[in-house]
Amino acid sequence: MATKELKRSRGILGSLTLVFIAVGLYFGLVKAPPDANQGDLQRIMYLHIPSILTAYLSFFIVFVGSCMYLWKREQRDDILARSAAEIGVVFTALTIIEGSIWGRPTWGVWWTWDARLTLTAILLIIFAGYLMLRSLIEDEERGAVAGAVLGIIGFLDIPLIHMSVYWWRTLHQPPSILRPDKAPWENVHPAMLTALALNFVAFMLLYFYLLSLRIRVGESEAKAQRAVLEGTA
Amino acid sequence: MAFLRQAAWLLWKDLLLELRRRESLIAMFFFGALLLFIFNFALDVERAKATEMAPGLLWLAVVFCGTLGLMQLFQPERENHCLEALLIAPVDRAAIFVAKACFNLLLMALVEIVVFPLYWVLFSVTAWDRLPLVFLYGLLGTVGFSVLGTLFSALTLSARGREILLPLLILPLIIPIVLATIRGMDAILRNAELAESLPWLNMLIAFDVIFLTAGILVFDWVVET
Amino acid sequence: MHLQIRRLSKAYGTAWALRDIDLQLGSGECIALLGPNGAGKTTLIKTLAGLVRPTSGEILLDGVKHSGETARRIGIGILAPGDHLYDQLTAEENLKLFLALYGGDKRAPIGDALASAGLADWAHEYVGAFSSGMKCRLSIAKWRLLDPRLLLVDEPYGVLDGAGVKLLESYLSDVCRSGGLVVIATHDVGRAAALCSRAVILKRGRVVFDEAKHASWDSFFCAVGEFAPRGEAWPS
Repeated sequence: MATKELKRSRGILGSLTLVFIAVGLYFGLVKAPPDANQGDLQRIMYLHIPSILTAYLSFFIVFVGSCMYLWKREQRDDILARSAAEIGVVFTALTIIEGSIWGRPTWGVWWTWDARLTLTAILLIIFAGYLMLRSLIEDEERGAVAGAVLGIIGFLDIPLIHMSVYWWRTLHQPPSILRPDKAPWENVHPAMLTALALNFVAFMLLYFYLLSLRIRVGESEAKAQRAVLEGTA
Repeated sequence: MAFLRQAAWLLWKDLLLELRRRESLIAMFFFGALLLFIFNFALDVERAKATEMAPGLLWLAVVFCGTLGLMQLFQPERENHCLEALLIAPVDRAAIFVAKACFNLLLMALVEIVVFPLYWVLFSVTAWDRLPLVFLYGLLGTVGFSVLGTLFSALTLSARGREILLPLLILPLIIPIVLATIRGMDAILRNAELAESLPWLNMLIAFDVIFLTAGILVFDWVVET
Repeated sequence: MHLQIRRLSKAYGTAWALRDIDLQLGSGECIALLGPNGAGKTTLIKTLAGLVRPTSGEILLDGVKHSGETARRIGIGILAPGDHLYDQLTAEENLKLFLALYGGDKRAPIGDALASAGLADWAHEYVGAFSSGMKCRLSIAKWRLLDPRLLLVDEPYGVLDGAGVKLLESYLSDVCRSGGLVVIATHDVGRAAALCSRAVILKRGRVVFDEAKHASWDSFFCAVGEFAPRGEAWPS
């Protein structure tokens, strides 16, 4: 019964995600006016900003799951952390790709060593490392503990990396085209804000939908393993 | 008190083992010197630019040598399952961690004492009076590197492909340390005002303290089971 | 000291190493842990030492949950031949190091301990050059100095000569007599039956036999014999 309800709520979440993505795209691509300076190019921000926020949320969930796992030793916390890390890596990669697509016409380059870009890339590397670590440790429990430690250290390292990279860029080079402390657009049209908010909601829904799916996979794996264990007992 | 005494004994043990196994230090030293030669071929370091490039190249050499050392760091504890012997002994886990990190720091510092002046000689850097300060930054950066490196060296003990995994995990995490060290050295070598180099020094010390604290806090879990 | 093992299980991946182990161990006991390869003897020893975290169940040490922490407090020794010694330290340096780590008396008679293990002439040799038997003797000397309350012995007989076996058994008896607890995992059923006061037999991670020697000699012998490796001498 409980699983049935769970399945139904997951279905609702999925449909809701679809609806919001459609609405978000409509508002972002049609309803919102083109940017005064960048024209239609700026519309990619409606995806770019929600996806990086989603990635950050993801790594925060990795951190929370890791702490909970070390504290309580419940397998579900580890599954949560690992699932969030996987999806977080996807969203971070997505952010970087979107940024490149936007950066090429705007800055004339695919990549620049801007503080935010650099930070995002490092984030991707750290959590890709997390996934690698998990896949390279055979023992389930040891892998979970090692992953939790990396999840915590990696998350706590983010502000340090941010601080150092930011200071480096502001202390030694003229501010880059994209000023980290300033939004790329100056006067924000209300329709733009609406589009951004809608897309943000759509990404959040998509994120939690994917997370719930990935957690289900993790739980099924754990369940299958338990079943094999009980069977051999 | 017991903590320091135990850490000291463990450090003494590691030094004695290194003296007799000769696994790490000599290899690290040769690798460091070799890298300076490779840098010359790869970058064709000119005299005029050598000073400017010193921080980056020196730190690269430090990181590569350090990674080499980290691979071997827990080797003596793996043989004969000696790590188990330490874990069942009434020894604070933090003492094991601190002793290992200190040992690695010591090895790297010895390498730096040779490799840094060697750079000055090979590339005709004239700013000899700056060398002690550059060395100070190098040492502080090495503290952070050793602390994180020791933590992850222990964390990956049971992982497959550890030799690849270890640098992959450490290098992105030590970026704050890298930046602070290199920028600090850079300011020193450009004869910049104190106001420019001091923030990096403070930052470096702060990072070292943060990583050391975090390492001590989580090391219990790293070596458990 | 009283160890209470309650429904202890340990799974590695999809296989049980230990399954629902229930045991009560008390001071002064000398317990033979028998069973074929892969029965879970070593896992049980590591779990008792606090080196392996159980999947489920618990061990109570004098009523308090047992973990790596409590294991270190009471002093647990693992005597596994060839293990837990640094190859590039001399015999004497090994003992010195562990004595210091255990917070032992600096003036402890290291020389005497080595001499009693028959290693006086090798005190300044690297342990790496030792034979397995000599390493085992050094381990005995080490634990004699450190005096653990719970001593876990993992398959000691294969490497020791006659005098070495005598040395080991007299030490184990001393530990039991002074209120310590000894668990020996071994395949040498004969020696175990002669030395120990109780036998526990594991098979596929479960306890299939657990009895004190005096309780019912016949069943003890029969059960032990059933698991004894073929061709092994059996005391009459």
